[in-house]
Amino acid sequence: MKRLLHMSYLAAGVGGLGFFAMSILLLGVWPGRALQDQIGRTQPQHPPHLTASEQRGRVIYGREGCAYCHTQQIRYVAADVARFGKATLAWETIYDYPHLWGTRRIGPDLSREAGTRPQDWQLSHLYAPRTLVADSVMPAFPWLFAGAPDRPLQEARDLVNYLETLGRNRELVGAEGEAFARMACNCPGDEEKFGFGAGPLNASPAMARRAGAFPKLEAGDAAAGRALYATHCAGCHGVAGLGDGPGAAGLQPKPANLAEREYSGDQIGFVLWNGVAGTSMPAWRDLAAGDLASLAEAVRGFHAAQSEPPIPRAVLDLGARVYTDRCAQCHGRNGGGDGPAAAQFPIAPANFRGRRPSIAASLRAVREGVAGTPMAPWAGELAEAELSAAAYYVRTFFVGDAR
Amino acid sequence: MIKKIRGTLMPESPEAGTPPNVETPLSHAQLVQSHLVYSHGLAALLALLISAGFGLLAAIELVAPDVAGSSPWLTWGRIRYDHTQGIMLGWLGNAFFAFLYHAVPVLTGRRVTSPKLGQWLFGIWNFVIVLPGWVLVLAGYSQPLEWAEFPLVIDAFVVLALLLAAVQFLPPFFSRGLDELYVSSWYIIGGLVFTLFAYPMGNFVPELLPGARGAAFSGLWIHDAVGLFVTPLALAIVYFVIPAATRRPIYSHFLSMLGFWLLFFLYPLNGTHHYVFSVIPMSAQIGAILASSLLGIDVVIVVANLLLSLRGSGWFPRDPALRFVGTGTVIYLIVSIQGSMQAQMAVNQRVHFSDWVVGHSHLAMLGFASFVALGGLVHVWQRIPWARYHAGMIRAGYWLLLAGLVAMVADLTIAGLVQANLWNSSAPWMDSVRAARPYWILRMFTFLPIAGGFLSVMFGLFVGNVGDGLREIEQEIGLEPVAQLAPRIPGEAL
Repeated sequence: MKRLLHMSYLAAGVGGLGFFAMSILLLGVWPGRALQDQIGRTQPQHPPHLTASEQRGRVIYGREGCAYCHTQQIRYVAADVARFGKATLAWETIYDYPHLWGTRRIGPDLSREAGTRPQDWQLSHLYAPRTLVADSVMPAFPWLFAGAPDRPLQEARDLVNYLETLGRNRELVGAEGEAFARMACNCPGDEEKFGFGAGPLNASPAMARRAGAFPKLEAGDAAAGRALYATHCAGCHGVAGLGDGPGAAGLQPKPANLAEREYSGDQIGFVLWNGVAGTSMPAWRDLAAGDLASLAEAVRGFHAAQSEPPIPRAVLDLGARVYTDRCAQCHGRNGGGDGPAAAQFPIAPANFRGRRPSIAASLRAVREGVAGTPMAPWAGELAEAELSAAAYYVRTFFVGDAR
Repeated sequence: MIKKIRGTLMPESPEAGTPPNVETPLSHAQLVQSHLVYSHGLAALLALLISAGFGLLAAIELVAPDVAGSSPWLTWGRIRYDHTQGIMLGWLGNAFFAFLYHAVPVLTGRRVTSPKLGQWLFGIWNFVIVLPGWVLVLAGYSQPLEWAEFPLVIDAFVVLALLLAAVQFLPPFFSRGLDELYVSSWYIIGGLVFTLFAYPMGNFVPELLPGARGAAFSGLWIHDAVGLFVTPLALAIVYFVIPAATRRPIYSHFLSMLGFWLLFFLYPLNGTHHYVFSVIPMSAQIGAILASSLLGIDVVIVVANLLLSLRGSGWFPRDPALRFVGTGTVIYLIVSIQGSMQAQMAVNQRVHFSDWVVGHSHLAMLGFASFVALGGLVHVWQRIPWARYHAGMIRAGYWLLLAGLVAMVADLTIAGLVQANLWNSSAPWMDSVRAARPYWILRMFTFLPIAGGFLSVMFGLFVGNVGDGLREIEQEIGLEPVAQLAPRIPGEAL
């Protein structure tokens, strides 16, 4: 009896350790092999490694606990895919030692952050998050900067460089690589649907688009719009719309001065829905349509109509000649921002049909250029008369609202 | 039908006969290294206050993100790392050691291996692991892995300390002989041995295996930290304190052992439920979800046995140790059933990533583990003849903690549902952050009763009269001085 008892304890001891070994085999080693196999079949050839700077940024990301509020794992779940983009595939994380999946989302998932926001936005946001995103609870990281959002230390650059790698490789494989992975994946229905299905790879509603349809905005409520403006826009564009909010400090180009421009309803609708690609102006298409309409009212409310001085015919003729010679390649013959050279610039040339700068703003832009955009200063190139004539002339393209 | 084999637990008295393999039983005072119980208890409570302080600061920073100024040392991420590592290693680790220095000799009739080793273990645990770990994390040296945030150099010392702990606490069991071992002993052996295996797995493997493959192991460790370290040692306390404080045997020794083996079978198989709907193979996820469901059933068995053993003691026994342990047991049931539920795909899909889970982990680590550890600490404190003790303060602390816990968990659970709802709608992301704000404010204020409770228990153990602990239990139980009492199972049980 006693020996039997001892035997049973021996069996129990072996069994106990066996349980643990089994858990490692079943839930660690075996899934690891299955994943390795899947990665081998689906990964593109030679996905780029992180650079030294990106690798350092990754360490900073880990050190500051970013992964404890931002996941890097889009699940095979409709809500995740709709909000963030295609579900994360195994090969996308092959360089992550250790992984940074995270189990809590206070901020959004960052798996597809690459290309979502421009660098100046990222830096300003790290420096002082609430200047760009009202009510954000993200910690500020001023110790990565030399006192200003546009004076990043190497660590801030590293971190932003790392953020720009999140989802980059999936982006790089393109449709061809995607099709290859899909074929080799042999994954069950849901995984295939969410991992490869139609729809954007990056579903961030903030990502700006150069072109794209937008819904026509109905009439909005100006009072509600002003409240929305105060929450979402004033951080950069300033409470009075002068483009001088606290978030503007580190942004390049500067946020638009809404008071010195007159906008058509369509122009506002386009920008709210699609953002301004190449600048820090994000898209706001995740706001309700009624809210966007109200915001549009608030934005137009900043512009006060001024008495327009009569411009002599001769000046406008000179302006037209200068414009055709110097401006139309980019801004287009009809001022629509769609000249033959427009597409090669990271930021689209201004569309004067949808917005009319004040005389002062127009003169300033022509003389000094617009910092942070391809718009060059023309002060040394053109005579003063030509400059001002062009500045007057571009204001004639404005068509306003068809309504 | 299960044939009940009742374990009986008798006070050590001359009639009870000598325990197996013991020639002349040593007295309690000879057996127990009281100064090690006391010093680990003190370290545990200090670490508890500091770790809770990190938690408070993290809660405040969610409401007022700029409150810590521009100091990298107090940024949310680093504070958050220190909060959980401090709770697991600084508070619970020390509290478990304090309990083991009392329980292992009582359970085995033998001293722990060496008091000298005890001093080394104490020093390494607190001054080479917990304190430097905290400082290194704040200074920016850490590991971004859940329940493994201390940097690798600290992890190496944790493994060393766990080895030392095994050397310190396990030989008494082996020299006593493993047959007729009381269930607490099994949990102690299991907890110490399995943690020794699981800790390196969770802390080192994800550094060696990239991405999804490493995450599979991280998922295991997230659950093993709770399931193979915290739970077994907490249950060892529960199984020890209930019979010792009620002076009645555990209801069923068979159910105890059944629960023990099921727990060690099922707990390690749960881990992948932290990554449901991930790229980890679906069959592994489904297996883990199945194990999670079964684990809920196991906990029902364990807790039924414990609550049946508590029959007649009332919901709020007068002995504060028993009260903490009893409430912790009930919470263990609640949190385990909640865990089984939220592992299910339909639930997990919605509440995962939300404050619901934060509420769940506080219910587990504060409601279950910390209540039980506090109960264990009070229990061993009562039995240190020269320790101060103030029952009223401890009982007041109990009520404050219970109130704070219920408020915080309810608050976070509702917040999680609100967030889940918004995430499943087309609302902008920031709406979920704005909607959480009132809940985060309330959560911040639940710190008042919780901190008050911790302080109150702490005062209860450091003010008051020397020897009041002993006098209280003598009065309560109506038996001879407890210095001579020791739970021990007699030969006829299993």
